[in-house]
Amino acid sequence: MAIRRYHYARDVDEALSLLLAYEGRGALLAGGVDLARGPGTDVEGLIDITAAGLGGISRDAKKGLVIGATVTLEEIRTSREARDYLGGFLTEVMRHVATLPLRCMATLGGAVVSAHPWADIPTALIALGAEVAWRNEEREERAPLEELYRRPFRAIFRRAVLTEVRLPAWGGAFAFEKVSRNAGDIALLNCACGLGVKDGKVAWARVAVGATPYRAARLTGVEELLVGESPSAELLAEAGRKAAAEAKVGDDLRASAEWRRAVIPALVRRALERAAREVKGDA
Amino acid sequence: MKVVGKSVRKVDGIPLATGQPVFTLDVDLPGAAVGKVLRSPYAHAEIVRIDTKKAEELPGVLCILHHGNVPRTPYTTAGQGWPEPSPYDTFLFDKKVRFVGDRVAAVAAISEEIADEALRLIEVEYRELPAVLDPEEATAPGAPVIHDEEDARGIHDPQRNIAAAIDIRVGDIERGFSESDVVVETTCEFPYVQHVPLEPHCVVAYLDEEDRLVIRSATQVPFHVRRIVARALGLPLSRIRVVKPRIGGGFGTKQEIILEDVAAALALRVRRPVVMKYTRAEEFTSARTRHPMKVRVKLGAKKDGRIHAIEMDVLSNTGAYGTHSLTVLSNVGSKTLPLYNKAPHLWFHGKAVYTNLPVAGAYRGYGATQGYFALEVAIDELAEKLGMDPLELRLKNHIRAGESSPIFEKIGEGREGKAQVVKSCALAECIREGAKRIGWYEKRGKHLWDGPWVHGVGMAVAMQGSGITDIDMAAATVVMNEDGTFRLLVGATDLGTGSDTILAQIAAETLGVPVEAISVYSSDTDFTPFDTGAYASSTTYVSGGAVLRAAREVKRRILEVGAAILGDPPEDLDLAESYVVSKKTGKRVPLSEVGHRAMYVTDQKHIIATASFVAPESPPPFAAFFAEVAVDTETGIVRVVRFVGVADCGTPINPALAEGQLEGAIVQGIGHTLYEEMLISSRGGVRNPSLFDYRIPTAADVPEIEAVLIPTDEPTGPYGAKSIGEIGINGPAPAIANAIYDAVGVRLYRIPFTPERVLRALRTRS
Repeated sequence: MAIRRYHYARDVDEALSLLLAYEGRGALLAGGVDLARGPGTDVEGLIDITAAGLGGISRDAKKGLVIGATVTLEEIRTSREARDYLGGFLTEVMRHVATLPLRCMATLGGAVVSAHPWADIPTALIALGAEVAWRNEEREERAPLEELYRRPFRAIFRRAVLTEVRLPAWGGAFAFEKVSRNAGDIALLNCACGLGVKDGKVAWARVAVGATPYRAARLTGVEELLVGESPSAELLAEAGRKAAAEAKVGDDLRASAEWRRAVIPALVRRALERAAREVKGDA
Repeated sequence: MKVVGKSVRKVDGIPLATGQPVFTLDVDLPGAAVGKVLRSPYAHAEIVRIDTKKAEELPGVLCILHHGNVPRTPYTTAGQGWPEPSPYDTFLFDKKVRFVGDRVAAVAAISEEIADEALRLIEVEYRELPAVLDPEEATAPGAPVIHDEEDARGIHDPQRNIAAAIDIRVGDIERGFSESDVVVETTCEFPYVQHVPLEPHCVVAYLDEEDRLVIRSATQVPFHVRRIVARALGLPLSRIRVVKPRIGGGFGTKQEIILEDVAAALALRVRRPVVMKYTRAEEFTSARTRHPMKVRVKLGAKKDGRIHAIEMDVLSNTGAYGTHSLTVLSNVGSKTLPLYNKAPHLWFHGKAVYTNLPVAGAYRGYGATQGYFALEVAIDELAEKLGMDPLELRLKNHIRAGESSPIFEKIGEGREGKAQVVKSCALAECIREGAKRIGWYEKRGKHLWDGPWVHGVGMAVAMQGSGITDIDMAAATVVMNEDGTFRLLVGATDLGTGSDTILAQIAAETLGVPVEAISVYSSDTDFTPFDTGAYASSTTYVSGGAVLRAAREVKRRILEVGAAILGDPPEDLDLAESYVVSKKTGKRVPLSEVGHRAMYVTDQKHIIATASFVAPESPPPFAAFFAEVAVDTETGIVRVVRFVGVADCGTPINPALAEGQLEGAIVQGIGHTLYEEMLISSRGGVRNPSLFDYRIPTAADVPEIEAVLIPTDEPTGPYGAKSIGEIGINGPAPAIANAIYDAVGVRLYRIPFTPERVLRALRTRS
């Protein structure tokens, strides 16, 4: 079945009602990156949501960040709000994602919903404890992204419109690390780590590793290891080693489980070291 | 010189940059049909039955071709000179398929969608055959025979799957090694890599108003396309015209006739224009690749560093068809061994074997690239064992101007070669200049650390050729217009290299006019004279030689007319600044007046000349390559920090274009070295047939590259020129391998040097 109709949704309600009316044969279109890579053969109607009021980046009252689903990755990268949030952590993450032309098309909502296991954005968002909001037939719902990914989220978004991503404020710092074959490539491995330090001890820690080749997961064992300890070089190195033991790794076309397990310690340690340097105990 | 040696703007630069419809598919012919090829899902299978009934019944399907309804003539897809050195082992369609992606049938339909649907409706019953998926096993007793068809010709040993073999000895190799004080042996492996031209293979074939077949194709070899299509389809050559518009990259893959034959057959059958193009996936599965190779090099040297014996043993995988199998194999030795011409004892031997894998073919560097990887890593090892600086070892042993190598005479294009003395060589200067620019003495052996990164520098040297001796022939026609401008008609094929521009420069220099006074029309078998095509680093030297001769003849005729006007003898006259000028009196007459007089006024004639040039020899360009790398010892990532390539290409006719060739080849070579590799499944298919999973360097990956030219004056070349198109790709793999060794003390023998391989090597050592 070829694509037959193209709709401009004026708002989320219209997008949702069109999506529901297609009963699985409609697809939301924002950046179109994943649609262009491989549109479902059963898609009959495209519903353009770029004018549905889902743009915009803002700070919330608690100094968190709220990003609309159709904001492009490049808009995030170049925004003042992202630069001011966590020392520009998101700006740095976006710099690692794909290439400039793709970043100008791809949207944050698209990255969240397509949730490619090798993608960088889920890793960063999970580490940050992002919460996402969506609208379905009955109501508006919200959930932490990490929890959403444990649910059948692809089925949810066949009958729902993702509206925004909320990132909480953190008193600390985050850093992102990625290994890829060349510029603009997807990750062979990535990780995002955050630390808060109080009175010389780690107050909180967030560690997520992705592209293992599975979708990013938080490594809570590593986080627990860090909390309450002084962020010494030895501790961060140990955290790296523990991350390799805790992370689920596998083989794919691009790299082996063996290599991934061997590299996770360095990657996690480097991200933690950079976060620790940045946080300088001002948690 | 006024025009030669200047970086003038490309003559086709503006139309390319402004998006003019200059490419093969930028035409829209009324009624054009779309051609598509059904491809084999099996590595090796017999077609037991093929039923096209359902597909033919689909509205919009115009014709379906397969082995049952086309002539069966063995030919080669290799667009090479005559006699063709590649085996005739290919048919338009065959009863057997020999690799995943091989041709089974072709459809012409009124739209792409219908053509695709028709492919799905063709019913094919295959009988799967055991396949050869490892070149090491191709010649084993009992291995499946890939080319068991009786009508194939020119295969070295079909029963043992050997497409081509070579065995060349100079001196006494056993004595050579026994007399050597130091011996090293190294085996390097080159995987499947793809050319990835920006523009995939594409063609438009149609019958003109006189029922002649016109093939508009993205090809490097229009005249070979004409000859090979004529053979494959049983058409008289005179009924075919091949036109090559602008090309979006070739790198050797468009030296292959892999689409023109099918498109022509379809167009003849449906009597409508037929448009065909490869998808990106087809470029990977069903176009051509570099020959994957295992090259073993054994070197023997005296204590003082004199190389005494070289053995080179090659196992080349030609895939399912033997296109370029012999000549690429030959070039592994013929383009490398003369570089170290002091060694009296040589043994170069190897074979190219068939496998049921993707088909290899011509690729920039053409065997030399694979050969230099092994040779130059071995030289680095030899230097270490001798306790010598590898730079000094190379300086001590490399060929010089005035010297020769027996290899020139022993190995030619699928036959014996021709003795040749090197007349220009600035390799020593290239090595010294490169060493200075990379900071060789400051950095070599220093293991400079920067966090987890450790730096190292490595080098390699290389040569190539300039055309194929006694085979490559080019012709050019220079036509004077009455306003004193000129048209230059060349069969030469600009594949984006800028050859139209440098040929115009050669003509302009000779005729004393600016480049703007020359209009170039190239690559049309009806309207331009013959040229073997753009390959073997030949265009500047061979086609340039023809242009120089034709322009000189036109100049002679202009001076005759000038002499009649000025009253001075022709020998006192010259051309300068668009005038005929008397060297004695300073009297002058504009070319526009000469042209006008010749055409309209007195003793009327059209000033026009055609000349041919056959490569009398193949003067090698030389180059030295230096890489500075940083190795992340915790992840295995290798980063090329800086790369210096210094080349002697004779006189660079257009320095910017020559530097661009060197730089582009280096970038392509870095891609090979660090990440490019076609991954093959256990059933013989390509696992990563897309740019998502087969990575090539992008602008963001290009390190700081210095491409430097050291000019020499090659006496046999036009204005002293030699070639530059290929040589640059020979350096990166060995230079980077040697730099990694300098950095971390680990030798890597198989490219690409992925983080995985590098890290494994580091951990194995420690």
